[in-house]
This record gives sequence, structure tokens and C-alpha cells, in this order.
Amino acid sequence: MAELLQYVANGLVSGGIYAIVAIGFITIYNVSKVINMAQGEFLMLGGMITVTLISMNIPYAGAAILAILLVTILGILIQKYIIANAKNANPISLIILTIGVSTLIRGVASLLWGKDPFALPPLTSNDPVAFGGITVAQQSIWVILSVLLILFGLWYLMDKTMLGKKINACSVNTLAARLMGISPVKMTMLSFAISAATGAVAGIVIAPLSVTSYDVGALLGIKGFAAVILGGLGNPIGATVAGFLLGLLESLGAGYVSSGLKDAIAFLVLIVALLIKPSGLFGERSVGKGGL
Amino acid sequence: MESKYRNFSKKTIPYALLVLFAPFILTDDYYHSVMVVAGMHAIVVLGLCLVMGLAGQISLGQAAFWGIGAYTSAVLTTKYGIPPIAGLVAAAIIPGLFAFVLARAIAGLQGYYLAMATLAFGYIVQIGIGEWESVTGGANGIIGIPPIGFFGESELGMYYLVWGIVTILLIFSLNLVHSRVGRAYRAIHKSEIAATSMGINVRQFKLSAFVVGGMFAGISGGLYAHYMGILDPQPFGLHESILFITMVVIGGMTNVWGALIGTIIIEVIREVLIALSHVIPELKGDIDTIVYGAILILIMMFMPEGLVPRIRAVYAKSKASKAGDVQPKPERGEVA
Repeated sequence: MAELLQYVANGLVSGGIYAIVAIGFITIYNVSKVINMAQGEFLMLGGMITVTLISMNIPYAGAAILAILLVTILGILIQKYIIANAKNANPISLIILTIGVSTLIRGVASLLWGKDPFALPPLTSNDPVAFGGITVAQQSIWVILSVLLILFGLWYLMDKTMLGKKINACSVNTLAARLMGISPVKMTMLSFAISAATGAVAGIVIAPLSVTSYDVGALLGIKGFAAVILGGLGNPIGATVAGFLLGLLESLGAGYVSSGLKDAIAFLVLIVALLIKPSGLFGERSVGKGGL
Repeated sequence: MESKYRNFSKKTIPYALLVLFAPFILTDDYYHSVMVVAGMHAIVVLGLCLVMGLAGQISLGQAAFWGIGAYTSAVLTTKYGIPPIAGLVAAAIIPGLFAFVLARAIAGLQGYYLAMATLAFGYIVQIGIGEWESVTGGANGIIGIPPIGFFGESELGMYYLVWGIVTILLIFSLNLVHSRVGRAYRAIHKSEIAATSMGINVRQFKLSAFVVGGMFAGISGGLYAHYMGILDPQPFGLHESILFITMVVIGGMTNVWGALIGTIIIEVIREVLIALSHVIPELKGDIDTIVYGAILILIMMFMPEGLVPRIRAVYAKSKASKAGDVQPKPERGEVA
């Protein structure tokens, strides 16, 4: 029983991260119908830039905030100069384009930082906390808290503020939104900014739990994308639930089946789920085929 | 029919000459091995071109089929002692079966769902190869894979074998594109609903594109296994899948010749980068990924149709004396 609880606890931590990445995907997707395959790279950059800044003797908080800002700016630049100029907006082209962005960022990161892993110190001490039979690293609690905070923040933004309503208006009907004086261009840019910022935060809080290196983004991005697809394209609540679900499955799979197979288990479940429900477990928000 | 013959006469002769005499232009053994590997990549890319360009189905896990083919032939020849040629046949059939099952399973998926499913499949296969130690040797891989035999022993023999297979598959692909089947694929690509209403069995066509693409990749994987003599799971992941996509995209997704030319362009770039990294040691990072990424971005931004169709359009406009002949002369210059 204690074992099971421990696996569940671990699964919730990684699942929270997948949920954040998935929300990042959806924030962009709902406004512009683009799946940004470079989402995972935002996490990698958040972690790596923070490590670099700390090594320059900038205090932790300042380094983290600066890293988040830099990644956000990068997100906006990617949207403005690359995505917005794509001539051909069919899904194959867009996927290939954003895979290109992600590959380029990864390559540049390998030049900048080399291929060695880096460690980021935890926010608070290294001592694990015991909760009736299970031990959790203090950093894991920070991860969960950040995840909840980001999810709440995004929900609040989207549901309770005028800005969120504008973003939503663009995702429902771009033309109508434009007629109402909302700038879809600005909203798309904003969605990239939000997505990059949340990605960077997630990258910073998970970096102390595992090492961070130039290539951690690829798999995290793909897991987040898997959560998006599993939850139903464009469905934020579905993606959040699916993210946690994938994290739990992986953790249980690693614990009870084999740790080497943990990634394969998550992907296998995804394929099986798609066979049963081709539009995700919780249904799409968009109407159309394959999200178009 | 007319267009088919024009296609053949205009491009086949330069192509044949280039393939036949390339090893004598670059006589170095190192370059021969580069050309052999380029040929293997070209086979995978031809298959991917049929999947992505013809059927319009994105496949982000093509390296998985390549890996299944490589391991099929390697395991059969090392563990069960079957001759390499039979191993190669199995390397075509087994990935084809995998592709069939996968395509059957995900035939209803489109757009981003399909992209994710193929991505997931690629990961599952790579992890599976790494974990199934009793068969694949796990992370240590397989050693002592026998060479193909009769003339696959020498670098030059292997070159002609691989490029012979490339040529056969190229002719097959060209015929497919210009046949009723090819037209059906293009119809699916344009509009599935319209294609269905014309009586085309969309599902069956998508399936067969996947299977053919998987078989091509498998044959190439089998050749790779026997050529290298050793295998480990490392080269059969996302990095390689992206490489294949870069090759197919740069030449032009919807163009069979483009697939071939794209492969050659990327191989040349790779060699240039390797040569550069000897001169500038700082470039030891993943400089090639920077280049692939940049190529993907630039192509998708400025000529999503790819190089070959673009060049053809320019030629058609300029009405040059050699209209339509898009044999890539610059690369030949660069290679030489």
C-alpha cells in the first residue's frame, strides 16, 4: 500500500508537468490552430538559462524571473518572425515548421551549453518530507504548487478577465473577433507569450528534481502533446486530466512493470486510447478533422 | 503516358550516368561509404515520400520501420543462421506487417492525432528494441552481423547493390505516381470526401501507402545492418526520423525525384559539416541539428512545396532551352 501511494505521489508530480506542457500547447492551439512542437524546448530553456544565470552569481529568484522573461520574448519572436510568416498553413507543414524550430533551438542549446547535464539547486532544502509512509522531495511539493498556481492563473485569466475573453473570442471565431476590434495577431502573440512563460516556469521547477540538459525538451514536449491528444485537442480540462493520467500510468508502469519501459507504456496507452476514442478521451473543443 | 516518357528520358540518363560513375569520380573509400549510406537513406526517403507526399499522411516515426528492418535481418542472420539475402526479404516483410497493423489501427486518425500516433509508435519501437534484451541485445546491441555476400563484401560492390535497389524502387515509385493508383492518392490528398465519392477506397489506399513506406524503410534497415555489421538502438529514434523528414521536405514532398535530390543535398551538407568540424573544433556540438532545423524552417516558410517543384516552376517560366531538366548540377560540383 505504501508502495502504491509512493508511486501515485511520484506520478502526480510528473503528471503535473505534463499537464502544464499540455496547457501550453492548447493555449497556442486554441487561438491559432498551431501545434507548437517547440513547447518542450521552452522548458529546457527555462531550466538551462536559470542554471547559467545562477552561475553568474545572480540570485536564484532574479535568475528565474530573468529566464522566464527571456523565454517569453523568444516565444513572441518565434511567433512573429516564423509562425506568422508560414505560407502554407496545412497541419503537415505547420508540424514540420515547429519541429524545425524545436530542432534548431536544441542544436543551438547544444552549442551553447554542450551535452553535459547541469544541476539546479532545489528551492528549499534537499531533505525529503515524510507523509505517513511516503517520502516526497521538498522540490516535488514546489512542483505541485506551481502546477496548481499556473492552472488556476490560466483559468482565472481565461474565464474571469476581459483579456481572456478576447483570447477566447479569437479561438471561437477569428473574423468575428476582428470585427469586434480584437486584434487576432496580438492575441496569437500573447498566446505564445503565455505558453512560453508557463513552459519556462515548469522547466525551472522540475530542473532540481532531475538534471537538466540541452535535450530534455524533446521528450517533455512529446509527453505534453500526448496529453493534449489524449484529452481531446483544444480541451484544457481534458488535457490537464490526461496529463496527470499519463504521469500516474508511467509511474505505476515503472514501479510494477519495468522502469525501462515506462515511456513506452504511456505511448502504448495513448495509441490504445486513440483506437477506442479517436478524438481523445474528453472530446475536442474544435469541430473538424484532426483539429482543423 | 506522354508525361511518363518525358520524365524518364529527361532525367533517367543523367541519373544513370551519375549512379554508375560516381564511385569513379570520388575514388576514396570514405566517400564510397558515404554514398552507400546515402543510398540507404534515399530508400527510406522514397518510401516516406509516398506516405507524406502521395497519401498526405504525416509519419514522424519512419526511423522505427528502419530499425525493425535492421533488427529483423540482424537477429535472423546472427541467431538463426539464415542467409543475409533471406534476411533482407524478412527485413522488407516484417516492417511491412508492423506498418499494416499500425495503419489498420490508426486509419481513422487525421491531422495532429495521426502525427502523435506515429510519434508514439516511433518511441515505442525504439524503447522496445532497447529493452527486449533476449532478442535484440538491449543497449549493447548485436555484433557480428554477416555481410550481404557475393558482391556486398567490398565497398564498391555494396555501393552498386544499394544504388541498384534505389533505382528499382525509384522506377517503382515513379510508375506508382503516374498510374491510376497515384492519381487516386493525389485525389485523397486534395479531398478525401471527393475521392470517396468517386469510389476510391480511401482507407485502403492510406493503408497501402503506409505499408509500402514501411517496407522501403525495412529493406534499407536490413541493408544497413549487414553493411555496418553491428547494431544498437541509438540510431533508430526521433533524431533520425527528423533527418528523413528534412530530406523529404527539402526536395519537395510531392515529388519522387525530389526525395532523391533532397537526400543527396542533406548528405552533402552533412559531409561539409564534418569537414568543417575538423577545421573548427567548436562546431563539435549538434551542428547538424541546427542546420536541419534551419532548413525545415526556411523551406516551410519560403517554399513549402520544396526545391524540385520550385525549380521546375522557375524553369517553366524562363523557358530555357533545357526546360524541365532539373538535374541538380551544383551538388555534383560540390561532391566532386
